[in-house]
Amino acid sequence: MTNEELWQIVLGEIELSISKASYITWFKNTNVLSNKDGQIVISVPNAFTKEWLENKYSKIIQKALRNISKDIKETSYVINYKKEAESAKKKKKKKVPSKLEVSILDEQLDFNQITVDKKTNLNPRYSLDNFVVASFNELAHAAAQSVIKSPGRTYNPFFIYGGVGIGKTHLLQAIGNKIAKENSSKKIIYVSSEKFTDDVISAIAKGEMDKLKNYYRKIDVLIIDDIQFLAGKEKTQEEFFHTFNTLYENNKQIILSSDRPPKAIPTLEERLRSRFEGVMIADIGHPDLETRIVILKTKIKDLNLELPDEILNYIASNVQTNIRELEGALNRILAFVKLNNSIPAQNQVVKILKNIISNPQKRTTHKNIIKIVAEFYDIDPKDLTDRSRKKELVKPRQVAMYLLRWELKSSYPFIGAKLGGRDHTTAIYACEKITKEKENNDSFEEELNLIRQRLYNYTS
Amino acid sequence: MEIICLQENFKKGINVVGNIIGKNLTLPILNNVLLTVEKKRLRLISTDLEMAITYWTPGKVKKEGEITMPAKLLSDFINNLPNKKIEIKTKDNSLHIKCENFKSVVKGIDSKEFPIIPKVRGGSILKIEALKLKQAFSQVVNFTSLSDIRPEISGVLIDFNSEGIKFVATDSFRLGEKTLSIKNETKTSVIIPLRTVQELIRILSEQGRDELVEILIEQNQILFKTPDIQLISRLIEGTYPNYEQLISKQFETNLILDRDEFLNTVKITSLFSSKINDLRLKVIPKKSLVEIFAQDTEIGENTSELKGEIKGKEVEIIFNHKYLLDGLNNIDSNKVILGLNGETNPGILKPVGDPGFVYVIMPIKL
Repeated sequence: MTNEELWQIVLGEIELSISKASYITWFKNTNVLSNKDGQIVISVPNAFTKEWLENKYSKIIQKALRNISKDIKETSYVINYKKEAESAKKKKKKKVPSKLEVSILDEQLDFNQITVDKKTNLNPRYSLDNFVVASFNELAHAAAQSVIKSPGRTYNPFFIYGGVGIGKTHLLQAIGNKIAKENSSKKIIYVSSEKFTDDVISAIAKGEMDKLKNYYRKIDVLIIDDIQFLAGKEKTQEEFFHTFNTLYENNKQIILSSDRPPKAIPTLEERLRSRFEGVMIADIGHPDLETRIVILKTKIKDLNLELPDEILNYIASNVQTNIRELEGALNRILAFVKLNNSIPAQNQVVKILKNIISNPQKRTTHKNIIKIVAEFYDIDPKDLTDRSRKKELVKPRQVAMYLLRWELKSSYPFIGAKLGGRDHTTAIYACEKITKEKENNDSFEEELNLIRQRLYNYTS
Repeated sequence: MEIICLQENFKKGINVVGNIIGKNLTLPILNNVLLTVEKKRLRLISTDLEMAITYWTPGKVKKEGEITMPAKLLSDFINNLPNKKIEIKTKDNSLHIKCENFKSVVKGIDSKEFPIIPKVRGGSILKIEALKLKQAFSQVVNFTSLSDIRPEISGVLIDFNSEGIKFVATDSFRLGEKTLSIKNETKTSVIIPLRTVQELIRILSEQGRDELVEILIEQNQILFKTPDIQLISRLIEGTYPNYEQLISKQFETNLILDRDEFLNTVKITSLFSSKINDLRLKVIPKKSLVEIFAQDTEIGENTSELKGEIKGKEVEIIFNHKYLLDGLNNIDSNKVILGLNGETNPGILKPVGDPGFVYVIMPIKL
């Protein structure tokens, strides 16, 4: 018999022998904590209950216990406040699930949002406890764990990369927070690479380069977010390079994040790139449906709220890649709940999330693609449709075909026709070639991304 | 039991203990106050199972004993009696009260049903003047969060450390910290439920200036003790938020304003605030001027100007006028310092010349 069952039977018996008011007052939130060698420990919610049960009801309780098991000799009582607080919380939640006192919409700012630690720049809101681990990020998470265990030793430096809004910053900050918590003497600094650049620039301007050097080189754990923004900033890179070396030589932990692997960061100095590549690199992919639901649930739990599963499922299955967007969608729903004091029905949910979910596909046209590709490679758009087989024209032409295929989902015959009336097999060949090339050559992939960016910037 | 005491003393006693009664509906005995005659004194006890108040009053004891009485009736009755001797006597489960021309019999409940008041066995932490304690509590108590969603801020923090005692309360929108520099050896911190603090303030304000309050703490319990009164309460479990980092020491903009003038200007301008109580402060250091502006589409608008010593950056910030007033009302120096760090960071309000009080207030988003 488990302790719970035992106590249920005892309670059932006691309920019959005392008044209802007394029963509710004195036996609410009580339970059996342990049962060992005939010694029973009963947890009670407060000191009043303890005194009362000890002095007034101990006989009834003993008798009820002995009826169940003859071995029970002694009962003792301990106060367990937590239980009471928890059950009070639960009760509140059930009673008023929609009365949100969390200020999601409130214009009034509260302290929670800004409890960033001035010294480390870490936001305590990010912790590993609310970091949902699944297959898409488990490598990064596991590596983070060992970094926390022995900062500066196992995985140093530690490089995390992954797309926008999938939890890089969260993980980075959580590592920092955890190390800070476990070892308060460690000096931890979290900076965005933009902040780092600013520091370098203002140090140069003020002629205080030495001060900056000293500052960054005395750190035990240096965390730099979005390192890709260092690209192209030569002086900053140089300064970072030296800081990096100093810290690395002294076994100080360095943690970096970027939205792409080091190889793919353009205009990053060779010596930095090679240093980045020699490190522990963990990538974070995209969460699957189940993970997305778990993330939503964690988020809601943090806010002490409840939402029906159907709504969560809807959000999770419609917002697919970006966790930040996922939270955005959730916040919209919560705002609705707050404003109307009711849980939205399915059709309302669809309406509320229309903007986020049916994010209108960025549109472009075949003419546009041809124009942009020509511009990018600095050739005449006519050259693309011409018959020339010059090497510097063939490649752009193939790129244009590839983009027509993948951005517009055009048919091969259509592509061939638009680029100078070529055969559809030419188009197939071009697309395959570019796809292959893209896989083998990261800088070429960057090139394609740049063209894509231009494509949509121009049209929008 | 049988005792003779003065109406005045009885009245005071029932008023001290009676206030917490009547909030529990499940257990009828909790609506009663326990009267005990022992050791030449009459003792009154009330409880709501979160805290308990005990009060002793002198009297001429004839026979010891105890009984519980409905608090509401007893207090209404005693309060209206003339200030003469009252004779109290129990017979079975009723109380016979005689005072000048009045003679009454009140039905009570057996004292055995009354909850047993827990004892605090922990050591004494310190002794402090009642008035000082009351003032410290009253200066911050209004900032306590009224919701139970985050239990740890639904009470007032008392932080004992070697330099002094800190009283802190916050509802996450503003925060007040009062420091009393009293030497003490204990290093501990406890969170006292809001209701307990309110009750304590009420009781302490009736105490004499020099009366000492002794504080005893045991795991989960706290006891406040004067010669006549004891208040025991549960403590709130949990860790108080790490608030210290909110109180910045350096400001981008630093204002020194006349407290009364500032208070008055905020009051006047706040009449024109919209529903979210917003009040826009435009700080112009060059002109040593603050423009305080409020507007509501249905009411109208108001702009007030306030002169002061202002240093630092120009800034425009919006505050909830209620929070601003709450802070100013708890400062009694002639001049106040308002320190700002941009429009989204908390502002700091503190009296000039008194390092013991700091008020932190979050702005409203622009």
